Amino acid sequence: MLMEMGLDREEIAALATIRSELKEIPAQRRYLIPLLQRVQQALSYLPQAAIQLVAQHLHLSPSEVYGVATFYNQFRFTPPGRHPVRVCMGTACHVKGGDIILEHFERKLEIKEGETTPDREFSIERVACVGCCALAPVALMGDALHGHMMTGKVEGLILRVQIEKEKARREMGDRDER
Amino acid sequence: MVELIVDGHRMTVPPGQQLLAACLAEGIYIPHLCHLEEAPRPAAACRLCFVEIAGVPAPQPACTIRVASALKVRTDTPAVRRLQRMALRLLLSAHHIDCRRCHANRACALQSIARFLKVGLHPKPLMAIARPDEVDRHHPFIDHYPRRCVLCGRCVRTCRNGNDHPQFSFTGRGIDTVVRHYASNLALDKRCSECRRCVAACPVGALQWRREGAGASESVD
Amino acid sequence: MSASETSPLEAWTALQAEAQQRERQRATGHPIQITVGLASCGIAAGGMETQAAFAEAIATQGLPAELRTVGCCGHCYAEPVVIIDHPQSGFPALFYHEVNPGKVHMLVRNFLLGGDPCLEHVMGAMEANDLLPAVNDFARFGLEKRIVMERCGRIDPASIAAYLADGGYGALASALALSPAEIVARITAAGLRGRGGAGYPTGEKWRLAASQSATERHLICNADEGDPGAYMDRTLIESNPHQLIEGMLIAAYAVGASRAKIYIRAEYPLAVSTLEVALAQARQHGLLGDAILGSHFGIEIEIFQGSGAFVCGEETALIRSMEGFRGTPRHRPPYPSVSGLFDAPTVINNVKTLSIVPPIIAKGADWFRGIGTAESPGTAIFSVVGDVTHPGLVEIPMGVTLRHLIFDVCGGIPDQKHFKAAQIGGPSGGCLNETFLDTPIDFDTLAEAGAMMGSGGLVVMNAESCMVDVARFFLEFTQKESCGKCAFCRIGTHHLLTCLEALTKGKAEAGALELLQTLSEDICNGSLCGLGKTAPNPVLTSLRHFAEDYRAHLEQQRCPGLTCRPLIAHYIDLEKCARGCDACVGVCPVAAVFTTSTRKKGIDIDLCIQCGECIAACPPQYDAVRVVSPPALAPRVERPQTDPPKNAEEG
Repeated sequence: MLMEMGLDREEIAALATIRSELKEIPAQRRYLIPLLQRVQQALSYLPQAAIQLVAQHLHLSPSEVYGVATFYNQFRFTPPGRHPVRVCMGTACHVKGGDIILEHFERKLEIKEGETTPDREFSIERVACVGCCALAPVALMGDALHGHMMTGKVEGLILRVQIEKEKARREMGDRDER
Repeated sequence: MVELIVDGHRMTVPPGQQLLAACLAEGIYIPHLCHLEEAPRPAAACRLCFVEIAGVPAPQPACTIRVASALKVRTDTPAVRRLQRMALRLLLSAHHIDCRRCHANRACALQSIARFLKVGLHPKPLMAIARPDEVDRHHPFIDHYPRRCVLCGRCVRTCRNGNDHPQFSFTGRGIDTVVRHYASNLALDKRCSECRRCVAACPVGALQWRREGAGASESVD
Repeated sequence: MSASETSPLEAWTALQAEAQQRERQRATGHPIQITVGLASCGIAAGGMETQAAFAEAIATQGLPAELRTVGCCGHCYAEPVVIIDHPQSGFPALFYHEVNPGKVHMLVRNFLLGGDPCLEHVMGAMEANDLLPAVNDFARFGLEKRIVMERCGRIDPASIAAYLADGGYGALASALALSPAEIVARITAAGLRGRGGAGYPTGEKWRLAASQSATERHLICNADEGDPGAYMDRTLIESNPHQLIEGMLIAAYAVGASRAKIYIRAEYPLAVSTLEVALAQARQHGLLGDAILGSHFGIEIEIFQGSGAFVCGEETALIRSMEGFRGTPRHRPPYPSVSGLFDAPTVINNVKTLSIVPPIIAKGADWFRGIGTAESPGTAIFSVVGDVTHPGLVEIPMGVTLRHLIFDVCGGIPDQKHFKAAQIGGPSGGCLNETFLDTPIDFDTLAEAGAMMGSGGLVVMNAESCMVDVARFFLEFTQKESCGKCAFCRIGTHHLLTCLEALTKGKAEAGALELLQTLSEDICNGSLCGLGKTAPNPVLTSLRHFAEDYRAHLEQQRCPGLTCRPLIAHYIDLEKCARGCDACVGVCPVAAVFTTSTRKKGIDIDLCIQCGECIAACPPQYDAVRVVSPPALAPRVERPQTDPPKNAEEG
């Protein structure tokens, strides 16, 4: 289908699942945000095909759906990295130097906040308070929260992911050889 | 009918009418950009139509006031003018000022409001928010100049009022808010070529009809 | 829907008896009770690992212990916290702080198996006794007055039995015996003011909504906590969801609501799942759905997950968002109590407001009025963060002074530093200086000072903080979170931010302070909604109370708090630096530290990013790293030719 251009096989499958689930959701505008949340949960972002699917189901124009989605911080329109880094920029973290942590992630990963590394391994986002103020400054790598961050810890976290990736690659290689 | 006094001038209007509309009908000019006669609720977004009402401490936007009996209104107090001038300066600071090359030159609401409020087009002491005057061509027939747009929303609301599938929507948030068309659909786009009311609704030349089929900036005026 | 023979009170008494029975059985089966605090903050501090370590020990050693979880007790500085109740040891229940898996093994070996409670790791006992001090004698515990958070950290949030056995839902049972008007009258008499920020009288809001002739009314609990330094709503939900549900049921009954919803941030997954569990339990126990407690009253509570927009804390924006639109505020009036969600009368109350309702119904309006001040009865919950010894959630009566809150309850400012400022109320609040330390805090005194109760965020700052930077931080937030609808907030906050950024970089032009003042005043007067009207508060209050900070930035390009990085420089005092010590070299993230010709250390000013890691790393006996502002004050130390500058992006 033309609509699914640019999506990989998994994403097309996820979209098909959502399409089959749509029957349960009444075509009322108030289900727009819950529906977008469901799509993003499945695809981790909102590709154009998904926005059109939601628009079609709720009898809205894609412009309206896109307009609503871009209003909220939760929704993203490009795929995130496999290890999304989220740096807390809440008040307590700011006071304790959260911006230095964010900058160091940007420096080490060579991307800016809001971007994804070319290998889609990491992405960086800033979040406004994850509510762990006593542990400031705080950063999340995936779902794991790391408190009392320092620049040295930034490098450690990135290194850990890279080492694990390397290990997985070698194991794969071993298996292939066998 | 109720009687009210605006700038010392007695007016008789139907109760519940919007104060801004009542004043405009009576020939009393109050600067405004986002006002839309047929809208069910005022947007109150441009923050220009401030007036002072006897007994109310701070200036209020006239579009949000429903006319009631014995209302005493002033449209030109120092507090009103201060807010209006700041609102206009703010809008101008985000507006790409290049009137000579703009198709709305001399028909632009910003120009006439600036003249009325005696504000220069370069909004000192605010720095202009420098951005290039790019053209957004997501819509098949309508060019949009986001750097001219004042986000009054008249196009969005006009389209929504006459169309269950609005072709333009606000997107983004805060200072990055823009009016945008997303994901064209032939059948719906076709209706745009018959309607064109959004282009007419724009007070500042941010929307421009493009000749059908012409991809580049050849415009029909 | 038919009412059964029994009254709501009888139905509840039966439920409670059953719950108490269950709780007793649970406790008698296990002579040792181990309780771990597992709200988001506890989990973040490693509470899950602590719990897993205990679970493993119990399983492998076959200990007769039960592992329970509770929510947050508010003592964030001490997480992960564990309470061990081991009566056979002869000790009362003991409160342990910062329990990592290593400590777990020690406690299992020494205390659970050996009988030695490792007193050096105990913070205190849970009740008064002759052996050791009780935690309630600690200032941080004892000076608080908990009425909203009373059960937080005490009961298991995942167990409705724990809540019922503790008297929970009793207020609902007595409320159902009253008429809705009587409940509204009682809340009005209690003088309850909305805890969401502005302090609007709750009873008045309810009365207005109840008096509208409408076929349908809505109740919405606003749990869209967006202030970047406040997390009490999340904590309340994670620690005691049933009290909120009970409060919502009473409110819904009082205003005649037919639909109830909780608008909660999707970024709070634990709070959402805790609520889902609690709602299901309430439904199972006949406390939700049709014929609640056998009465004629029935309602469902639904969860709506907000997608992250600070402005949706504003009630008209919240409604737009629930209707499936962009969350842009609308002009009020009409107020939501008259025309709200889907144009029906809608009461929107904050989590804290609704959670106070059950105690007020249970204990009466006079009891509530006896706490706090005449105009602001009750308590306030602050999330105290920043330069303070014991940060965390603190519930204190309205009307206590900032001095009491910061120095007595929260242990003062660490490292013998001086108090400089308190920022109260988050992005809508203000920065207060030490002249306000003795002002009693309530809704009205804070408003007079130009601040706001807001969400209850309180950031304490010592002398080494910069008020221009604090104002810039909050404006960066509000600018980013502005919905973009009205010109003042959308463009005005952008200009405020630009101006503040220029100040923090030493690049502001003459007239910057006057522009900040005028523009701030106009944004306050001209904006459409509460977010815009209060967004300049951090600027206005810091301009008023810390003018000298602004002048130093503007006139001398100097940051007195040594915070604004473009205006400071780090250098190493060669008199103090120890030959051969390398402590600062490894920690520098950009390899700016080099060895001088005298084998001491120097900092390459061109590479240094002013992160301060070298200060932390320098051994205290040398204490050789200095910070100065403006940067020109730092002596320049040349890098020896033999040590060519390393590339920061090595590798």
